[in-house]
Amino acid sequence: MIGLIYNELLVITGRWRSYIGFIGISILMPLFLWGFTYGGESIHDQYISQLGDSFMVVGSIFNSFLATYIVMNALWIHIPFLVTLAAGDAVAADGASGIFRITLIRSVSRLKILVSKLFASYIYTASLLLLCAFWSLGIGSLVLGTGDLIVIDKGILILDQSEAWVRMTLAFSLAILVMCTVATLCFMFSAMVNNSVGPIIGTMFLIIVGYLVIAIPLDFFDKIEPFVFVTYFDVWIDAFKDPIPWGDIIRKLGILIFHSTLFFGIAAVVFLHKDIKT
Amino acid sequence: MILETKNLSKSFGQRKAVDGLNLEIPEGSVYGFLGPNGSGKSTTIRMMTALILPDEGEVFIQGNSVQKMGNKALTHVGALIERADFYKHLSGETNLEMLARIDGTDFSRIQYVLGRIGLGKRGHDKVKTYSQGMKQRLGIAQALLSNPKLLILDEPTNGLDPQGMKEVRDLIRDLSSEGITIFISSHLLDEVQKVCSHVAMINLGKLITTGEVNTLLTDSGFLITEVSVDQTDIAHDLLKVQGWVHQCDIVDDKLRVSLGKDHISEMVQMLVQNDIQVSAVIPRTSLEDLFLSKVGTESVIV
Repeated sequence: MIGLIYNELLVITGRWRSYIGFIGISILMPLFLWGFTYGGESIHDQYISQLGDSFMVVGSIFNSFLATYIVMNALWIHIPFLVTLAAGDAVAADGASGIFRITLIRSVSRLKILVSKLFASYIYTASLLLLCAFWSLGIGSLVLGTGDLIVIDKGILILDQSEAWVRMTLAFSLAILVMCTVATLCFMFSAMVNNSVGPIIGTMFLIIVGYLVIAIPLDFFDKIEPFVFVTYFDVWIDAFKDPIPWGDIIRKLGILIFHSTLFFGIAAVVFLHKDIKT
Repeated sequence: MILETKNLSKSFGQRKAVDGLNLEIPEGSVYGFLGPNGSGKSTTIRMMTALILPDEGEVFIQGNSVQKMGNKALTHVGALIERADFYKHLSGETNLEMLARIDGTDFSRIQYVLGRIGLGKRGHDKVKTYSQGMKQRLGIAQALLSNPKLLILDEPTNGLDPQGMKEVRDLIRDLSSEGITIFISSHLLDEVQKVCSHVAMINLGKLITTGEVNTLLTDSGFLITEVSVDQTDIAHDLLKVQGWVHQCDIVDDKLRVSLGKDHISEMVQMLVQNDIQVSAVIPRTSLEDLFLSKVGTESVIV
């Protein structure tokens, strides 16, 4: 299986399309950091105005942790698109290019091939988010420095530096799992068709519809919201609550894993019975 | 039998692509699989290699059902299905390494098969720099990679120049002499006749005829004979009105006559009686003639 996953990673790294996400992140993140360095005062003032009545703030609250928290909120809609660039290609591209005529005639089960493609997509997905973390936390720490993280959500949470590292690690881990669900959804579409664009459009369409269901305050939408997997995409924010709501996190992850399993199950049924005519 | 199909059928929508096909491929044979475009050759081969699921029937390789055992039944099978496609951004060698990783083949086979099909020096180059002929050779290399006992080749000479075609023909003969059974589909009947010991012909998804090439040619109810005479035009006019002559053409100043075997002496006698000197009567029945007689001229292979 490791050999098969290695094969798939060779294919992913060989396609220039796979680098769009990495290039995009590597352009956007330095811009964000530059913006925070030279234009972070307004954010700082905004925070101070909310904290000033209760706390005496000495120095700057603006650091790489806060920048990362803001960036994660801002990029949450865009990262799924980057994830789909590899997952959409995973199965469909091999079908379209006729590669299956040399791979699926070998003495290995289709399921193994499919699982290896899924894991390779997961590795790609994780790499994208780790690159985000590298820029925002790694380079960000050098540029903006570190310190306490102040989170203003339904209250004010101040996390000291060592705790902030732990929470950031947890947040990115949860974000990776969320994005793996996106990758699996796109992977499912990829197993159904022989072009890579369809799965990307299909996945983004479902995600946007999901966001609309959450955002529009209609009774009907409120009723179906628990069944929409996009509802649980914000599980990473739970990493910044105090105390950490482990019960909620496990429940949300369970639902996301259920969806991923369902998506992969559908992909497997389709792929195992698919006639390779290309 | 190393490969058998039993009542193999497949439909796409309303169209029956393969209809109750029964084939038996003896071990060690070079088996030609012939049929006009759209006759169901590729669909049959794809069912043999687990790319397409049949609606009915089964494929057995060394007694193992491909449909029941899945790809495990393909352990000793190498195949090139139609055009050879690879990851173009990777080298030929890397592509073969990936395939070797899939079925657990030793990497030492890679240089061997690349050398065997004459790509030893180009293995490091990216596939996108290969000509169509080179890609086709690489396709044959990947089919040989797992040291197969049964080689299934679907149009293996596509894209090859005459020299390349001869090399593939020689390779097939070599592989056959090493005991590898070869099942080959081709529209080049002359190529098939040169290398195949057995042949099956299909049309509209149904088996038309099958058997050893020599037996089929000998047992066919008619002969194509090449007749050399001193007055070709007169002989042609005489023969073409005879009821027992199926067809008579002038090719390179010689007569090419299609007739029943038992009419040859009658033909010679008639020509001599009409003061036409006959210098040679040579049987020239080809697989193509046999094919056209079985399948019909309306299904001429392109």
